[in-house]
Amino acid sequence: MTPGEFRLRVCYAKQGRLRWLSHLEVVHALERMVRRAELPFAVTQGFSPHLKAAFGPALPVGTAGENEYFDVWLKEYTRAPEALSALAAAAAPDLAPTETVYVANNAPSLTAALVIGLYRVELDGKGIRADQVHAALAQVLSAGELVVEHKGKQKVFDLTRSVPEDARVSDGDSGVVVDLAVRMGPEGSLRPESLVRAAIEKAGIAVSAVRTTRRDTLVEDDEGVWSRPV
Amino acid sequence: MTRADLWPRIEPLLSRIERPTRYVDREWGASHVEDADYSAALVYPDTYEIGQANQAIGILYERLNGLEGVSAERAYLPWIDLIELMREDAIPLFALESCAPLRDFDLVGITVPHELSYTNILEVLDLAGIPIRAEDRTDCDPLVIGGGPCVYNPEPFAAFFDAILIGEGEDAVVDIVEAHRTAKADGATRTDTLVRLAAIDGVYVPSLYEASTTEDGSFAGMVAQSPAPAVVYKRVLKDLGSHNPPTCPIVPFMDVVHDRFTVEVLRGCTRGCRFCQAGMVYRPVRERSADEVVRDVVAGLRCTGYDEASLTSLSTADHSQLEEVLRRLQRRLAGTGVSVSLPSLRVDAFSVEMARLISAGKKTGLTFAPEAGTQRMRDVINKNVTEEDLLGTVRLAFEAGWRRVKLYFMIGLPTETDDDIRGIGTLVYKVLQAARESTPPSQRGGLKIGVSVSTFVPKAGTPFQWEAQATLEEVQRKQAILRESTPRKGVDLHWHDAEVSFLEGVMARGGRELTQVIEAAHRNGARFDAWTERFSLDLWMRAFDECGVDPVKTANVAREVTQVLPWEHISSGVSGSYLVRERDRAYAVKTTADCSFEGCTGCDACQELGVDIVLAGGRRS
Repeated sequence: MTPGEFRLRVCYAKQGRLRWLSHLEVVHALERMVRRAELPFAVTQGFSPHLKAAFGPALPVGTAGENEYFDVWLKEYTRAPEALSALAAAAAPDLAPTETVYVANNAPSLTAALVIGLYRVELDGKGIRADQVHAALAQVLSAGELVVEHKGKQKVFDLTRSVPEDARVSDGDSGVVVDLAVRMGPEGSLRPESLVRAAIEKAGIAVSAVRTTRRDTLVEDDEGVWSRPV
Repeated sequence: MTRADLWPRIEPLLSRIERPTRYVDREWGASHVEDADYSAALVYPDTYEIGQANQAIGILYERLNGLEGVSAERAYLPWIDLIELMREDAIPLFALESCAPLRDFDLVGITVPHELSYTNILEVLDLAGIPIRAEDRTDCDPLVIGGGPCVYNPEPFAAFFDAILIGEGEDAVVDIVEAHRTAKADGATRTDTLVRLAAIDGVYVPSLYEASTTEDGSFAGMVAQSPAPAVVYKRVLKDLGSHNPPTCPIVPFMDVVHDRFTVEVLRGCTRGCRFCQAGMVYRPVRERSADEVVRDVVAGLRCTGYDEASLTSLSTADHSQLEEVLRRLQRRLAGTGVSVSLPSLRVDAFSVEMARLISAGKKTGLTFAPEAGTQRMRDVINKNVTEEDLLGTVRLAFEAGWRRVKLYFMIGLPTETDDDIRGIGTLVYKVLQAARESTPPSQRGGLKIGVSVSTFVPKAGTPFQWEAQATLEEVQRKQAILRESTPRKGVDLHWHDAEVSFLEGVMARGGRELTQVIEAAHRNGARFDAWTERFSLDLWMRAFDECGVDPVKTANVAREVTQVLPWEHISSGVSGSYLVRERDRAYAVKTTADCSFEGCTGCDACQELGVDIVLAGGRRS
C-alpha cells in the first residue's frame, strides 16, 4: 500500500445477460469502467504499469451477483458519492456499481476477507415441490462430503465446512427457490449449483432450468458473525 | 415490423456451450434502436472474437445508426457447438442487439474478409434461413450485400449476393440504404430494386452480368446488361478527413483479436510491392492529419476505457507526421498506463526510433517484413529493402534493448530459385549474428528471431495476377529447403500450411464455376476453413471432383496477359497496362519508386477515380 493513496471499495451487481461473463471478463470490464469514469486511479509500478485494483472472489460463468466487490486505489481523494455517479455513468447497465466507500489502506484484501457467499438457486420445473428438494438436499448434506467433477478434475468438498448453515427451500413462481450459505476459500469454493444439482439428480427430480445468484458476499469476524465489507 | 426476440430460446443453451459471452451483446458502445423503420444487420462471417474488432463494420455500424429511422445491428457466426444446438431446436441465426432473426432484417451486409471465408458465408445464410443463391430469394427475403477485401475478384461468391460494394463504404452504404428505402416505399420489385442499386457508384449487381464466350468456347468476360455499367469502378473517399472515425466503438467483454482502440491513420499504400493486393487496390494514399489522429486517440481512449491505442494502416511508419503524432501522444498519455502501438514497421532507423519513443521501457518485440531472402528476389517483387537496411535496423533495435524481432518472408514467388529460398536461411543467420553482436554477452541467451514464411498466392488486380502459383508438391519441397537452410538455435520458424494456400489460390482467381464448388464443399461439411484444426482439403477436393472443376488449372497454370480474366469488369482504378508494365519490370528485375515519395508512376488510379494523394505533412522525403 502506497501512502497517499485512497482505497475505494466499490459494490456492484452482475446481472441479466451479463451473468454469462467469466470472472476475467468482469475484471477487464470493470477496469475499463474505472478508466471511462476518469477517476484519478493509481497505476502500478514496474515493467507493465496498469490500473491498481483488486477484486473479490470470482463468480462462475452463468452465475449472477447482487453484491460483488472490488477495490480501486486513487491518487486523489474523490468524494465517494461523486465516484459512484462517475462510475455509474461509465457502466454497462447489467454490470453497474451500487455503492462506494473508502476503506483503510491496511484492511485485509477482499479475497482474504470475503469468506461467505449467500446464494439463491432457482429451479424451474413443472410439479417440483420445496419439500422434495429440501429432503433431497438434506440427504446429500448428511453424507458429509461431495465429490464434484469440474473440467475433468475431481474435487472433494467437506460439506460441514462448506455449508455452514441449513439451506432454506421455498416454492417460487416457476419452481423452487433454494437459499443457502457457502464458505469460500483459497482451497476452492463449492459451487452451490453443483450441490443442488447433485441433490436433485440423486432424488430423480427433473428441472428445466437452474439459475444461480450470489446475493451477498460477506466477511466473518472472530465470533463467527457475518457482515458486509462496506 | 415487429421482429421476434430469440433470447428466451438462446439463453437456456448457453450453459451447454463454450464462451457464452460471444452471444450476450450489451457491451459498452453497443446501440440498438427499438422502433426503426429500416433495419440492417452487419455480419462478419466468423466467430465474435474474430470479427468484433473489424474496423469496417465499426464504421458502417456508426454510419447507419446515425441515419434517421435506421437501425444497424451486428451478427457473427456462432461456434459449431451453438450452431448444432440451434439446428436441433430450429433456431435461426440472430443479430446480437435485438436477438431478432437475421432473415427479418431489410438488409444483411456480409463482409468478405478472405478467401477462406466463403463456406462460412453459406453457413451464415443457411443458418439464417435465407436462400443461399440470390436468384432464389423473394421479396420477403432481405437484400444481401457483400463488401470487403475479397471483392476485387467477386466471381466465386457473386451468386450468393444481391449486390456487392466494391471499395470504401462510408458514403456508399448510405446510398445503398437510401436507394433500398426508396425502392420499398415505391413498392419496387426485387429486380427493379437491384437495377436501382446498380446505378450507385461502386455497386456491382452480379445478376446483371453474364459470362460471354468466344467462338472456340473460351471465356470472353462478364457482359453487363443495360443499364448496369460495363466496368464497376471502386468507390473511394477523396479525403479521410471528411468522415470522423468512430471514437466510441463497441468495447467487447471477451478477449477478442485486436482488443484495443484503433485509429486508422492513413488509407492506401503506394510502395508498390508487386505481390500485394492491398497495396494495389486501396490506392491512393490518404493520410489523416496529426491533429485529427491525436484528437481521435484521446477521445477514443476516454470513451472506451481501453489502455492501448493502435495506429493502424497498411504502412503506419510512412505517415508524414508520425513523429509529431507519437510525441504529442507521449505527452498526453504520460502516467496513465496507456500504451500506443504500431502494427508494422518499415525496415529503417526511423521506425526503430519511433518504436523506442512509444515503448516506455516495454520492449516486447518488433516486426519487419523483408519478404524475400535475396536482393534479386526483393527487386522482382519491388520490396525496396536491402540487406544492409535490415541488418542496420536490427543492430539499432538490439542496441536499444530489444531482444526479439519477427521477420516475414514469402516463398513461391515468380522467378524464385532454390537459392532464393536458401537466401532466407542465410539472411536469418546474418540477422541473428547482427543481433548477437549488438547484445551484451550476458543477455544473448534470451535472444530470439521469429521467422514466419507464407506462400505466395497470386491475387486479382496485382502485377502478378497472371502468374502460376507454385503447386502443392512444389511448395512442400520449397518448405523442406527452407527448414534445412534456416538456423535452429535462437530462431522460431513458422510456415503456412501449403494446402490452405492452394485453396486460397483457387478462390482468389477462379470465376463463377466455383460457385457450385463452394456449395458442394459446404454440403460436404466444410466451414471455418480459416481455423487450422477445421480445415480439410479432402472435403474440397471431393467438391471439385463432384463439380468437374480442375482447381490446378485455376491456381497453378500461368495465364497469358492477353487472356480475359474473370474479374475484368471490376476495377480498383489501377489500369491493366500499368499492371503489365510492372510485371515486365519484375521480370527485368527493375524496381519502381513509391509515388508518395517521388513522381507519379502511372498506375492511373488517381486519374481514373478523380482523386489524389493526400499527405498531411506535405511531400514525403
